[in-house]
Amino acid sequence: MSVAVRGVTHRYRHTGGDAALRGINVDAAPGRITAVLGPNAAGKSTLLRCVIGALTPTAGCVLIDGTPASELDAGTLARRIAYVPQRPLVAAAFTVREVVELGRYALPASRRRIDLALEQLQLQGIADRPFPLLSVGQQQRVTLARAVAQLSSGGHLLLDEPASAMDLYHAHTCAALLRRLADEGATVVIAMHDLTAAASMADECWLLRDGRLVAAGPTSEVMDIQRLQEVFGVEFEWVRRPGGDSVLIAGSP
Amino acid sequence: MNGAGRRHLRGLLILVCLATVAAVLRIVIDRDPEGHIALAWPKPEYAWLRWTALAVGATVGSSLATSGVLLQALLRNPLASPAILGITTGAALGVMTAMYVGHVTGMDSAWTSTSVTPALAGALAVMGVVYMLSQRRGRLDPVSLVLVGVIVSAVCGALIMLLQHLVPSGLHGEILRWMMGRIPEATPAMSLAVAGAMAASGIVIATSMGRAMDAATLGDDEARSVGLSLGALRIWLFLLAGALTAGAVALCGPIGFVGLIAPHAARLLLGPHHTPLVPAAALAGIILVVGSDVARQVIDLGAGRMPIGIFTALIGGPAFIWLLLTGRGQA
Repeated sequence: MSVAVRGVTHRYRHTGGDAALRGINVDAAPGRITAVLGPNAAGKSTLLRCVIGALTPTAGCVLIDGTPASELDAGTLARRIAYVPQRPLVAAAFTVREVVELGRYALPASRRRIDLALEQLQLQGIADRPFPLLSVGQQQRVTLARAVAQLSSGGHLLLDEPASAMDLYHAHTCAALLRRLADEGATVVIAMHDLTAAASMADECWLLRDGRLVAAGPTSEVMDIQRLQEVFGVEFEWVRRPGGDSVLIAGSP
Repeated sequence: MNGAGRRHLRGLLILVCLATVAAVLRIVIDRDPEGHIALAWPKPEYAWLRWTALAVGATVGSSLATSGVLLQALLRNPLASPAILGITTGAALGVMTAMYVGHVTGMDSAWTSTSVTPALAGALAVMGVVYMLSQRRGRLDPVSLVLVGVIVSAVCGALIMLLQHLVPSGLHGEILRWMMGRIPEATPAMSLAVAGAMAASGIVIATSMGRAMDAATLGDDEARSVGLSLGALRIWLFLLAGALTAGAVALCGPIGFVGLIAPHAARLLLGPHHTPLVPAAALAGIILVVGSDVARQVIDLGAGRMPIGIFTALIGGPAFIWLLLTGRGQA
């Protein structure tokens, strides 16, 4: 049970032939949190969209539990992969609960799963509020709750900047939830810009630049200070905290 | 039954009651040649005229309203309507072309008995053009769809004017009345039967797609990720909306605002769930069109029966502005 990316290249037709991804080979394992890192336009979102089947790779393939994603229909993919997009969108005045229920569109209805997802994201208090009236941070939590309600046992959860507009408390709550889901057997792949958060929560990292894979492996190996400085163009420093653990701090260019 | 279920039931009951009132009024309102209004059950010899007008109004109102719901779901834009995408104008161009060809070939009366076919042909032709030109990166792009629809609608409007210019003056009045929208009391049975069957089956199919339309309110990637076959759904919505609009235009000419206003009225009562929204919008469309037809029976400005399009526009125009000002026209 895993997500395997094999030689994936993707070109958007509108970019005049420049590849957004070039020959990417990576694996995400169940029970692990994998962070997808890289500067803007590195190919993080494109890679996630190839994995969920929203984009068909120009070359190579994505294997979901050993089966090419292109051979799986939408319903089957939904039972194996849940996805949280970069920008939440619900073009109707559904309540928070109703949005979370959409996660069960291709799956049997489950009030227990909906209630649990609302509880895990601390949304019970606003379950009856219309989604369009929420702040962006709250909408991100609702979108994550929708994906959690969809996630099947041993399934894969892909997230694209899921906490970019959340306050620190809820960002930490979500990180703890993702860790719990991984511990229960989910494969968690999360594209993010916050390297400090990535360093503290991810087991593995895929580091991308200009559509190429710079490094992939355990977080401690990939997040080498020298490599990060080359890729991101700013200085980094590991700072040891009084408790004994270290945090990654970004400096100036 | 939960709160949403009770709201759906209450809203549908209100709409059924209002539609029944409008239907009964359309049958019993009697205006004599001197313009006096009375409420009386019609005499058998002309009762069928009123029943025909009622059937036409119900068919057109439900078709346009359902088409509006489908297009608003397709575009994720609550301001979308058949007119915006050029479907109405395309269907009208189809009918106008059939009229012109009928006149040129000496078969003037033939177009009326088969006008659903040219309307459908015109609507589908326009939809094909709009669909092809709205593809971006291999997908139907909702923003391009609106822009291309507006442009194609303008071109079709120009072609309609050209045909109006080419027909002899004797046909001008008939064409003008048709273009302003009318609810005929006598119409070919085949046209009414075809449009009625299209409306009924369209409402049933659209209702069955309610959950899919709910999921389609999510962003493209998210909708696919919950298991929705978005491409197939969009093609269905597009074709169904076109067929329903064509049937309505064939019967009554282009009537504006019904496809925009009726879905919003239904949403105010029932909320955003598409499964109950489709039949509710169809009922709201019936109320709007049949109610407007009742109004034109009652209101006499001394120049004969007014075109129904005047009433729907007078109701729909301010409602459209209200939607914009209150923000209800935003997703």
